[in-house]
Amino acid sequence: MSSASVAAENTTIAVRGRDSLWSKAFYKFRHDRMGMVAFALVMAYGVMALGTVFGWWANDWSEIRGGRFDPISADFWFGSNVNGQDIFARTVFSTRTAFEVGLVVAILSTLIGAVLGAVAGYYSGSWIDELVLWLKGVLDSIPFYLFVAAVAFAMQGSAYGMHVAMVATFWTTTGRLVRGEVIKLKQFEFVEAARAIGLPELKIVFRHIIPNTFHILLVQATIVFVAAIKSEVILSFLGLGVKNGVSWGRMLAEATYEVGAGHFNNFIWASLFMFGLVMAFNMFSDALQDALDPRKV
Amino acid sequence: MEILQFALRKIIGGIPLILGVTFISFLLMVYYGPDKTYELLGKNPTAEQIESVRAELGYDQPFLQRYVTYLREIVTLDFGNSFSSGERVNSILKRTMPISLAVITPGFILGNLLGLVLALVAAYHRSGWIDKAIMGFSVVGMSISFLIVVIAFQLIFCSSYGLNWFPSRGWDVYSLSDYLRFVTVPTMATIFVALGYNTRFYRAVIVEEMGRDHVRTARAFGTPPAQLLYRSVLKNSLIPIITRIMFSIPLVVISGSLIIETYFGIPGVGKVTYDAITQGDQPILKAVVGLTAVLFVLTLLITDILYRVVDPRVSLK
Repeated sequence: MSSASVAAENTTIAVRGRDSLWSKAFYKFRHDRMGMVAFALVMAYGVMALGTVFGWWANDWSEIRGGRFDPISADFWFGSNVNGQDIFARTVFSTRTAFEVGLVVAILSTLIGAVLGAVAGYYSGSWIDELVLWLKGVLDSIPFYLFVAAVAFAMQGSAYGMHVAMVATFWTTTGRLVRGEVIKLKQFEFVEAARAIGLPELKIVFRHIIPNTFHILLVQATIVFVAAIKSEVILSFLGLGVKNGVSWGRMLAEATYEVGAGHFNNFIWASLFMFGLVMAFNMFSDALQDALDPRKV
Repeated sequence: MEILQFALRKIIGGIPLILGVTFISFLLMVYYGPDKTYELLGKNPTAEQIESVRAELGYDQPFLQRYVTYLREIVTLDFGNSFSSGERVNSILKRTMPISLAVITPGFILGNLLGLVLALVAAYHRSGWIDKAIMGFSVVGMSISFLIVVIAFQLIFCSSYGLNWFPSRGWDVYSLSDYLRFVTVPTMATIFVALGYNTRFYRAVIVEEMGRDHVRTARAFGTPPAQLLYRSVLKNSLIPIITRIMFSIPLVVISGSLIIETYFGIPGVGKVTYDAITQGDQPILKAVVGLTAVLFVLTLLITDILYRVVDPRVSLK
């Protein structure tokens, strides 16, 4: 963005100065061309994922239809894998897995981060704050992959071990940011006013303070979404990832045994589709930050 | 003397952290972890055999006692023998740690240095096309999975489908040229993955510093770019930079080398950890988690001392 257009935009926003943070952010986001393209791309992936939920396509991902490593053809758009399964269907179905992992982890870890961060911030300096900070420090100091492995062991190979481990570790950044913001917010007059009319403290935290951190939560959720999808790949490679399903991580893990023998279809298509979604989400997240955080550089 | 006192206080302050990390990992990994009894027994074991193996593994002791044993292992740095190979965990770590350091260090240093340089260039040309190009590349870099990078780099540089310049697997290092042959591709992969994140982070830090009054004044006096960036900007933004570098050390050393070493077949700590994860080799996992926690506390301490070194205004209390 050239400095002239920044200036122009700033004046537009200044003119619309009485609007809320959200309407300003929406306005800014609408005019962020890269952000809108990225958002459209994320939506396209979303439709691709929803299609598998409604059974429109790619539900035959586990069916054995062809031979070993069939090349690309009209029947197998992306070729077939070692078992003769259609790589196109597997790639598309993996989009759904990615959204499942990403959404579950993003929503839950954002919720936990918001609650713990807000409570720690509101009671900053007390033992509650100390406890939350200690928990965050502990979770941050356990090597992530070992933690996932440990949770997977403890949950006896349950399909959700990976999700639990990610939620348990990914809330910490959100929690830290929310805590910092809440320490600032609780000095504000609206909090003092709420206290003065005798609202219970928990109500102040949940009804008045947390809604004022939504801009942080939204951005953090998109960041965690991306982190979850990327971690899933590594975890699948380590044998700790998605169970009873297909994901880009599992395709890439399969590919590690295949590329040496010259079978590239699993690798190429899983990589491309995953790169597309992660890239689009990263850009969407950037545009959100631009729109929501006035201090972002 | 002041520093010594400070260090002692910090280490004591780190004890709750170490207790927490070891407790959680012990609970998950050992107490709720897989039961190894029957893997170590032959077919049709007698009740006494089962009993003796369980005693050997410590399963017959109460929870708290087993946890205290673990803590004693960390304090004395003696983690017993590996379940799968029977070798002493200490000698495994002693053998593999130098290899891991040799593999990860060049990539770690270069990744941070290059990130800083790119960030300085981008921030200096803020909003220009250079800035946009660098930031564009860094978003692309951030969007490619580590595993994809590793697979692709091995294909391009180490296989007959690509250039085939380097060995694809293993670690046969007896001389400097061997070292360079084996370390180049893993290093390039490490740099590639780290560069996107590093550049972005450092750019944000530097842009913040460049907006300050003293930089504007220096610019107004016509300070040449290199001097301005080094003296006015870089030196003043050292605190967040040090924080990032220091705190990535414990995790990069463990997690970063996990994938690299497994994929390139390098016998370092990462490979040992991977094998321990897949085989449920608890003594090794306990050692790695415990040592990482200790490393974290030491990192916290060294970081605080470094703050003082780069900025005398920071007080040690």
